[in-house]
Order: sequence, then structure tokens, then C-alpha cells
Amino acid sequence: MKKSYLLSLIIVFALVLSACGASNSGNKVNSSNNDGSKQNGEEVKISFIHWRGEDVAVLDGIVAKFESEYPNIKVETQVFPSDQYQATAQAKLVDGSVGDVFTSFPGAQFEAIAKAGLFTDLTSEEFVTNFTPGLIEAGQKDGVQYALPYQLVYNMPIYNVKLFEQHNVEVPTDWDSFLAAMETFKQAGITPIAFPGADIGPGQMMNTMVMNNATDEDIFVKLEAGEAKLTDEWWVKTLSQFKELSDKGYLQKDAVGTKTDAANALFIQEKAAILGTGSFQLAGNKAGNPELVQGLLAPITVSEDEVVFEGIHTTTFMLAVNSKSKHPEEAKLFLEYLSRADVAAEYANGTGQNVTVEGVQYTSDELKAVSEWTTKKTRFQPRFTISNAEVQKAITSSIQAVIGGTDPQKAAQDAQAIVDQQIGN
Amino acid sequence: MKKHLRLLPFVVPGLLLYAVLFLYPTVTALYYSFTNWDGMSPSYQYVGFDNYANVSKDIIFQKSLVNNMKFMLAVVVIQTIVSLMLALQIHKKSKVNVVLRALYFMPTILSSVSVGFIWSFIYDPTSGALNGLLTLIGLESWTQNWIGNTAIAIFSIAAVQAWAHIGQMTVLFVAGLQAIPPELVEAAKLDGASKVGLFFRITWPLLAPAAAIVVSYTTIQSFKAFDLVFTMTGGGPAYSTEIISTYIYNAAFMNYTFGKAATASVYFLVLISIITIVQFKLLKTDRVSY
Repeated sequence: MKKSYLLSLIIVFALVLSACGASNSGNKVNSSNNDGSKQNGEEVKISFIHWRGEDVAVLDGIVAKFESEYPNIKVETQVFPSDQYQATAQAKLVDGSVGDVFTSFPGAQFEAIAKAGLFTDLTSEEFVTNFTPGLIEAGQKDGVQYALPYQLVYNMPIYNVKLFEQHNVEVPTDWDSFLAAMETFKQAGITPIAFPGADIGPGQMMNTMVMNNATDEDIFVKLEAGEAKLTDEWWVKTLSQFKELSDKGYLQKDAVGTKTDAANALFIQEKAAILGTGSFQLAGNKAGNPELVQGLLAPITVSEDEVVFEGIHTTTFMLAVNSKSKHPEEAKLFLEYLSRADVAAEYANGTGQNVTVEGVQYTSDELKAVSEWTTKKTRFQPRFTISNAEVQKAITSSIQAVIGGTDPQKAAQDAQAIVDQQIGN
Repeated sequence: MKKHLRLLPFVVPGLLLYAVLFLYPTVTALYYSFTNWDGMSPSYQYVGFDNYANVSKDIIFQKSLVNNMKFMLAVVVIQTIVSLMLALQIHKKSKVNVVLRALYFMPTILSSVSVGFIWSFIYDPTSGALNGLLTLIGLESWTQNWIGNTAIAIFSIAAVQAWAHIGQMTVLFVAGLQAIPPELVEAAKLDGASKVGLFFRITWPLLAPAAAIVVSYTTIQSFKAFDLVFTMTGGGPAYSTEIISTYIYNAAFMNYTFGKAATASVYFLVLISIITIVQFKLLKTDRVSY
């Protein structure tokens, strides 16, 4: 009896130990490989993590060329959906085992990673000069360049150029002409604005709607410092204008229940004149309907003489080197490679995204149309100047509330109450 | 004593797993609820009961709590009643009933994330199948902005939760119904009991243990719901479907306030514990035996 007891004990512990041992030995093999290779001057593996699943094919091609130029370095790419990336990237970066090169969103995620000390200072790296100086500010903090924004996105509604021409509608230059244009489409039985109010719509369109109502580029910084309020005129007016668009039937019916895919479908099928999102969808729309001719426009919410900004830009997909990386030099070599104009052009033309690198030649009509905006007076996406994600959600929720029927004043008060709690007032 | 020792190897692995996967995270959450840890920084400070005071005053947390209650009540009522009605129809052994049971059980085996995506498309106000169907059969006035209207969004998701789990509960009720001795039903029928009388005097009291299991399981399940809300609305529009689990997720992973998230999870744990204890008490006292 005793024997069988002993035997069962041994079996159980052997099982437990072998389970633990398996993972340990696995790790050991990996690390000895890495160390060994470095000593021999052979292969170094660096990990690259990002959230652009749609760019994988193009980036894989770029990585292959990088590896042939630097045969000692192998790049292992891991891609996560953007939601998941926001949620888990930081935790992965902490021990330095993944994300030697990683990407960060501007705003809340950038601030959090900077606070955790996970960025390597890139200020003095030569390749930083390959980027347009005005477009990499989102990766700076206290005068230090921590990350290099790679993509240039215009967070402005997309419009169907052919529909505008067919109905003799000019790109509106003030609020009255914008409303008149919307009315023309409504009368013609076309949805004026396809608005994905259930998900990305409020966060995208709030930028152009607020840019001239509050011309202070630090308005949301001041909001979080308690120096400005959502109940002030600039936000209540913005909310009222959203409500006006909804009440007059310029957004599709039940806009707050519409998700991105459904809104995109309306625009791609040319049932809607405007898509209330941003330039990041140009390439996808074109793939869905090659006949589509697209341009960007911003709803101007003021009279023509009060216009300060013509549009909104965001620099995102910010490339960075993990401060916990065991191979920082190799990681920087990869960044240097990505920042070359010809490589950036390959990325841009392959993915349909504009980039912040100087001297890039664009080939597609969409990218050319967008690159025109570099000379216009655009402002960095106000939403990304909000560092607290709950404050951001309170603001976008107030837009959903007014489109759902809430009075703008009331929606602003509700949102401000949440902001007050978040900033500890 | 010796006998107990001999059984130990069979218990230890389970206990070990439980300790590592449940006890340790719970204790850690309790620990972090007294800190202002952001989830990444190596350093953090102790803030005492500040998080507890702040979370309980938090407007979004309060909304989440109310939404959780609405969601739970709707799911419990719909799921229990519909699954009981289905079970009453299909508890007798026949080939058709076996097929129907399998059919009703189907949604349960789907991943809740896919269920969420499928129903997001069905609920879409412009191109969704539900509004399309209502219009087709002449009930256009019944069409709704199912997950975009702040007044009904939480109930629309509750209906999906119920749809996905009704089959599971039906199986529990069928088992309960099949355990009722047929002679009791027969005797009642001979005594001239009506169908309604038979249900309320015989079936329902004997079904109480199964009903208690269904209700308690449904309550806990609906309280923990996360994936459906996350995939269908993400807590919106305007916080109308924000529940405690999405609140915790946002606090931890969107806003990097792990201390606050840990505090909310402790509140959540206490709440679920209270509900479970109350239900277990009811379950024991409700048991009817003949």
C-alpha cells in the first residue's frame, strides 16, 4: 500500500516538474542561441511589434531586404490587432524579450510608455534628420525625441469627387455652405454623410468639427488641467452642430448604431457623398470600388473669415527602440533602414499610407491627393492631445449622446462631470 | 489520516492550479487596489483606501453597476422563462425532440466573440437582417436602432446573451423534468388536475432544484459577461452598455490605472460573492422533495 502511495506521489510530482522543466529548458535553449550567436558575430534576432495587420505583406518585403543588407540580423515581426496592441504592448515591452523595435500611438499610449521609461532616446541619431521636422513632434517629450511617427494620416472626412461634380456642389468653405451642400445631397436621395457613430466616427469627426470652434491647439491640454471646460461655448457649439447634422437628416438614419463596416459600405457603393472618418480608409475604399474618385474635406464650422485651420493631420505608427532591448544597436539599424526615402516610399506606395519621411515619391492617385494637404494649414489631431483615455471617451460619448437626442448643454455637463472626476477636481 | 494522505496526490495538482490561477491573482489584485500602480512602472505608491473612495464615487462605475443589474435581470428573466417553455415542449423522448434539443444547444458551442460579431451585423440599423426582416413582414414601425439607442442597447445585448445560452439551460430543465417521477404526474391527472394546475402544483415545485441552478448559473454568467458587450458596443453609445467588466478593462488597459481596476475587481468579487451566497441559501431552502 505504502509503495503504491509513494509511486502515485512520484508520478504526480514528476508530471508537475516535467511541465515546469519543459518551459524552462525551452527558454534556456533560446537564450543560449541568442548569446552564442552574438559572441560569434553571427545572427542576432530582433523583435518588431506593431498593430498594422494590413501592412504585413509590404513590411515583410522590406524586412527581407533589410536582412539581405544585414545578414547578421534577423527581424521577427509580431502583429496584434490595434485594440489588443494598446492593451498588451506595454506589458510585453517591460522585460525586453519582445519589441526591440516597437510602435506606439501618440497621446495616451505614448505618455504611458514614456512614463514607464521604455523609450530609448533617439535625439542624437542621424536618421532623425530624414524625417520632416514638423511631423515628428508627436514623438517628443521634454525636448527628447523618443519615437519617430512614420505614418501621416489626415483625420478628415473623405468625399466622393464624382458625386460632388454631378450635383454641382463645390467643396464648402463655411458652415452655411456646408449645410447647403448636405441639403443638396439629401434632396437628391443620397445620404450626405455616412457616419460610423457606433465606433470610430465620433473620435474622427470631432477633430475637424472642433478645430475652428476652439482654435487654441492646447484646448484639450487645458481641459485636462482644469483651465477649460466642455460646458464652455466651444464644445457646446460643436455638439450643437453635430446635433444639427443629425436632426436635419444629414447623417444616415440611426447613425449611433452604425459601425465602420456598414458606414464604409454606404460610401463605397456611392450611396453616401461623405464618409466621416479619415484618409487611412482611402486605400481600402478604392480596393472596394476602383471607380471611386476620392478627396478630403473638412466641415468648416465657422464663417469664412473665422477660418484658422483647413484640416487635421496625425502622425502615428511611431517607431521606437525599447530601452530594455538587449540589441539596441541592431534595433537602431532597422529604424535607420526604415527612415530611408526609398524604403519609406516602398512602404507608402505599397500600403496606401502617407509617411513623414522627406523626399518620398507617391505613385497612387489617393496618396497624391492626400500629399497636397501637406501645404495646407492643418492642425495636429486634437483628440490625440488628450492624455487620459477616460476623458477622451467622455468627449466622444457626448457626441453619441447628442446624435441620440440629448440636449447639447446636458451632454456637455454630463461629460464635464466625468472629466472633473478624472482630473481630480 | 493515512487514507487522507494517500488521496493527497489527487488533490494537490488541482489545488496548485487553483492557487496559481485564482488565489494568487485575487490576492495580488487586493494588494494593488491599495496602490496607484499604472501597470508598467516599476514603482508605485500606497494610497490607502483612496481607490475605494474614488471608484465608488465614479460616475462611470455607478452607471456600470446599474447597467449590470439591468443586464442581469433581463438575461435571467428571458433565459429562464424561454428555456423552461422550450424544455416543457421537448422533454419527452422522441426523435424530433432529440434533434430540437441539439439545435437549441447549437449557439452555446459558438464562441461568444463570433456571436457578438454575427449579431452586430444582424442589429445594424441600415443593412442589418433584423430590421430588414421586420420591414419585409410589414412591421416597419417595429424597427429599432437596436444597439445605437441608449435606452434599449443593453437589452438588445441581453437578448443575444440569452439567445446564446438558452439551449444550455433548456438541457438542465429537460434533465429536471425527466427526473420527475411519472407516477406523480399520472396520479395528479387521475385526480383531474388541469394542465395549469399540474404545472404549478407538481412540475414547478419538483423542478425547483433545476430552476435554482439555472437562475444562479445565469446570474453569475450574465454578471461576468464581457466579450459580447466588448465586441458589440464596447460599452457605448454614451456608456449605455458599460458594465463592470468593461469598466475594469478600460481602467486597466486603456487608461493604465491598474490600481483603480484592481479596486473595481475587488468590488466585483464582493458583489458576486454576496449574490452567490444568497442564491445558495435560496437553493437549499427551496428544495422540495416528496
